[in-house]
Amino acid sequence: MLRQGDAVGTAGPEPGGDEAPSPQASLALIHSWRREAAGRLFGIPELALAGWGVAWLLGFGACYLASSSPRAAFPAWVAYLILGVTSAAAGVVSAVETVRPGRGIIGPSRRAAAWYGWSWMLAYAGLFVLILGLAVQGLPPALLARLWPGFAVLIGGVLYVAGGALWQDRLLYLLGAWTVIVGAASTFAGTPGNFAVLSLAGGGGLIAAAILLVLRRVPGRSGA
Amino acid sequence: MSTDPAPGAPHGLPSLDPVIHAQPRLRVVVALAALGEEDEVSFPRLQQLVGMTAGNLSTHLRKLEEAGYVTVKKTYRRRTPVTYISLARAGRRAFEDYTVALQALLAEAPSLATRERVS
Repeated sequence: MLRQGDAVGTAGPEPGGDEAPSPQASLALIHSWRREAAGRLFGIPELALAGWGVAWLLGFGACYLASSSPRAAFPAWVAYLILGVTSAAAGVVSAVETVRPGRGIIGPSRRAAAWYGWSWMLAYAGLFVLILGLAVQGLPPALLARLWPGFAVLIGGVLYVAGGALWQDRLLYLLGAWTVIVGAASTFAGTPGNFAVLSLAGGGGLIAAAILLVLRRVPGRSGA
Repeated sequence: MSTDPAPGAPHGLPSLDPVIHAQPRLRVVVALAALGEEDEVSFPRLQQLVGMTAGNLSTHLRKLEEAGYVTVKKTYRRRTPVTYISLARAGRRAFEDYTVALQALLAEAPSLATRERVS
């Protein structure tokens, strides 16, 4: 591999582009380039996390306000509209942040990212059909209102746990575990308490994780 | 493993792989190493990742390919030719050895490190 006489500085035709930096400078360059490359290759996952955090915070928050008795702040359809619109926006952000960094790259990591993205669609489509089936079977709306929100958050948590395992990301794994607990435990709060739990603990957890991710990116911190 | 003094290295210090120890090629190797193993990147995307002109990048890729450090694959996608580049196993290994050698150099000769500082 190392050919004698293959002197540094004779490789490129462009002058000054081939200089050999000092060992210290080389290490510093490696660190900064690595961080730069990782940023471009992995996109901005905190955007997707924050997007879903805001969607849950506002969407479930609106559900809480719409169903608090005796006087609801606004009708339920307004709450569902808010949840739907914010979720759709978060979905778009997630999709863009999954696809954008992978441009021009082929291989196992791209397949893993694409399959992971599709598994979110699959899981939520499955949940929709499941809840629809229960509604068609005549499950009372009061019970449905306790079931679907907790399930929706629990599924997100399970997928974050899977993502954390796949990419060996402790923060993502812990976020997933927390989200599973929040989704499952929310049922104990009944309605509309469950919406408050999912909004604050679920959405809040996602936003907190996004902030931690941003802090982790700051140069000089471990795990960047 | 790579800290064995190479022939000709002064004072028993590890020698730095000249193929990698050139700023533009180091940059290319770092970008390729950031990809997953067996991942491949298209030429234009790599160009964007490292911020080089096409001619410049081609030249350095040729050097790296000659050393067996990168694999260049020319293929077709929707009838347009595309070039995919990946870090070969030897390249990944050489990059690891290179960083180990750098750290050894810094540890053994701190004066060398502070002599020329590039910000």
